[in-house]
Amino acid sequence: MENLRVLVVDDEADFLETIVMRLRRRKIDASGVDSGKKALEIVENERFDVVVLDVLMPGLDGIETLKLLKKKKPFIEVIILTGHGSVESGLQGMQFGAFDYIMKPADLDELLEKIQQAYERKRIHEERHGLSGE
Amino acid sequence: MASKTELPFNTVQSYTSSILIVLAALLLGFTNGPWYFAGGLLPALVSFLGTRELLDKVRKANEQKCFLDEQLIQSRKLADIGELSSGIAHEINNPLAIIGQESEWGIHLLQTDELRDFKQVNDLTDSLREITRQVERCKEITHRLLNFAKIETLLQRVDVNRLVEDMTKLVERETKQHRIHIVRRFQKDLPPVVSDAPLLRQVILNLLHNAAYAIQKDGAITLTTRLADQGQVEIIVTDTGSGISEEHLSKIFNPFFTTKPPGKGTGLGLSICQRIIDKLGGHISVTCEPGHGTTFTIRLPQLLDIRQKGEV
Repeated sequence: MENLRVLVVDDEADFLETIVMRLRRRKIDASGVDSGKKALEIVENERFDVVVLDVLMPGLDGIETLKLLKKKKPFIEVIILTGHGSVESGLQGMQFGAFDYIMKPADLDELLEKIQQAYERKRIHEERHGLSGE
Repeated sequence: MASKTELPFNTVQSYTSSILIVLAALLLGFTNGPWYFAGGLLPALVSFLGTRELLDKVRKANEQKCFLDEQLIQSRKLADIGELSSGIAHEINNPLAIIGQESEWGIHLLQTDELRDFKQVNDLTDSLREITRQVERCKEITHRLLNFAKIETLLQRVDVNRLVEDMTKLVERETKQHRIHIVRRFQKDLPPVVSDAPLLRQVILNLLHNAAYAIQKDGAITLTTRLADQGQVEIIVTDTGSGISEEHLSKIFNPFFTTKPPGKGTGLGLSICQRIIDKLGGHISVTCEPGHGTTFTIRLPQLLDIRQKGEV
């Protein structure tokens, strides 16, 4: 877990700040950005293992960001944050390679568990392709 | 397919030994008196019972084989169709990309100074936009087809109850709006399985989606999890929807098979589910009582027996 790096993407500044802070308190190396575009930029320069991605954002929305993110960095695991949830959007997210969903307001313990499972999956994936966490 | 099981040999023939012994007993009875006849009947009875039991076993084995054959044919057929369609998807992808790029270039040109005053510039822009949109739609289909062929599984411990509950929560607000009630029948202390969680989530969401579509309004979806025989874990999704006719039922896992109006569904959802469950070493089946909705049953292997398969 020491190496785990999490990126939170959400346009709601309050939510973003709170969740990043709470993750850091739990000793998780977390950062936050407020748009899909910024998320795509930052993963180019920094290594992230798990991205927690809001689905409803102005500009590049969550699903579009997910598609581009998975294209750029196929090993990154994405957990989608959703306010309302629907059958259609849920299905879309999973089809484009999301790891899981979490409903807002995300319960921290639940989120942590999902992040850990996503991280485990990423390591199994990298191991299979002969990479070892970079 | 082979619904009527044929026995490998004639029933009368199988009882030849019993008949012969009865005849021998009759002969003995005639020559040596009735006691000899009675004494001859005993081995005939033993032979008869033995033969009957044997025939029964053969019949059962035969039925089991037919069932497995059918499963094998089905999954091979799907693998073949999958391969074919992903081949086509691959070929179509490049021309699609070019059509998309050219029509975007057209839109760009229409915004330049020379063409901006052209009378029908708006109409032309609209029609090029429509081309771009439709190309996007095609790309989505080819994308799914290509994924269909290369489903890669990554295995982790999965809490099935938790996974099903998460997906249920995700769709529940929407189903509630259509007065579709979700009933949970989760077995407590269900052992974990080693499986691919995101792929399983995709399957569950797909089944929930179909169930809600079949009901439209007012009805119930029942989700059951339980430990089945041979340590397999079962997930059962039952809806109170319109059901599926018998002729459709046999085609339901075929790629591109859909009863939805054109443009409403690609007919890939269930075939992808089938491929995923197959890859995970499990089995998915469907039953339907006309007028009483549909039931999908997923069986997943629990732990170590799947490890090898998934790590290929």
